[in-house]
Amino acid sequence: MTATLKQVFYFGPIIFALGFLAPLIAQSAIRLGFDAPFGLSPLAFGFAAAGISGLAAQIRGRWI
Amino acid sequence: MTDLKNLSELSQKELIRMEREIAAKHVGRKPWLAITWSISNFVIWLSLWPLVLTGTIPLWLGFVIATANMALSYLPSHEAQHDIIARPGEKLRWLNELIGWIGSIPLVMPYPALKATHMEHHKNANDPKLDPDYFTHASGPLRALWRFVQAMQPRGKNTQASRYEETLQRLGRKDLIIQSAIMTLAFYSFLFTMAWFGYAIEAALLWWLPRHLGFAYIIFFLAWSPHHGTSKGRYRDTRAWRSQLGNIGSMGMQFHIIHHLHPRIPLYRTPQAYWEMRPILKARGCDLGEM
Repeated sequence: MTATLKQVFYFGPIIFALGFLAPLIAQSAIRLGFDAPFGLSPLAFGFAAAGISGLAAQIRGRWI
Repeated sequence: MTDLKNLSELSQKELIRMEREIAAKHVGRKPWLAITWSISNFVIWLSLWPLVLTGTIPLWLGFVIATANMALSYLPSHEAQHDIIARPGEKLRWLNELIGWIGSIPLVMPYPALKATHMEHHKNANDPKLDPDYFTHASGPLRALWRFVQAMQPRGKNTQASRYEETLQRLGRKDLIIQSAIMTLAFYSFLFTMAWFGYAIEAALLWWLPRHLGFAYIIFFLAWSPHHGTSKGRYRDTRAWRSQLGNIGSMGMQFHIIHHLHPRIPLYRTPQAYWEMRPILKARGCDLGEM
């Protein structure tokens, strides 16, 4: 159990980015009337923005 | 106070006796304010969810209240950590444990883990290796806030999570590490579920962001400020200090020195205990700042 929890927490940044930040960015874009670039849907934009920042946090071990 | 005039001439034993006599007057009083504060704070925070989701109150107002709820949630739990509401075996012990838990849930840190790590903080205050709150140490207020940001990062040697995990490992409390991990997973599962049902902004502004802001406030006023510039030892590891936000704005932490010397004095009695004990603390050369 401990090993499984450790694995889950190790991938915390990317899981958090895709599980929470992506829909958060998408819903924020819709509420603010923000048009995503390149004709992306709000959710695709959310996944792109959250995915990039989540991947960076995953590699660096820090968001800021 | 006339008999306190020549305190510096008294023996250590005599000073301790006088200090304990003052403390005894304040220990054992029920902190009903903290109990009421804890329950109402928790109920208000819970009620924000239906109120915001049904549009009864605007989200920005919910966010402001939720942030205050987070900042206010820790101290009643802290009273419970020191068994101030009721000691083991006492009739109201269940209330002590209830207050301990409901203050810790919004912060997503199990009460038993908070209690275990906090007791280690008391035993080892300001010890770079053994004090679990040592991660808050910084040379000034802005650096303290930046230190907080760093301590909340996913990985690193001096994060809050790593310090608490190390402490619990050292105590042999693997059960509490697992309990903390499960509580954290439950929190993120809740956020993810809310987000994928279309309520990401509400979840972010009623829990996720307020929790970070509340923690920043708690760590700044409860961990950094009272220990800033202090060293190690019973009369040296914390201080009295004057906050620009006053005693209520700093949640009673101006008198934190009383809490470390006599942890079972309820928060609401620490100012009175401080003023009564001040001449003794002065005779001992404690850092009393401008207080």
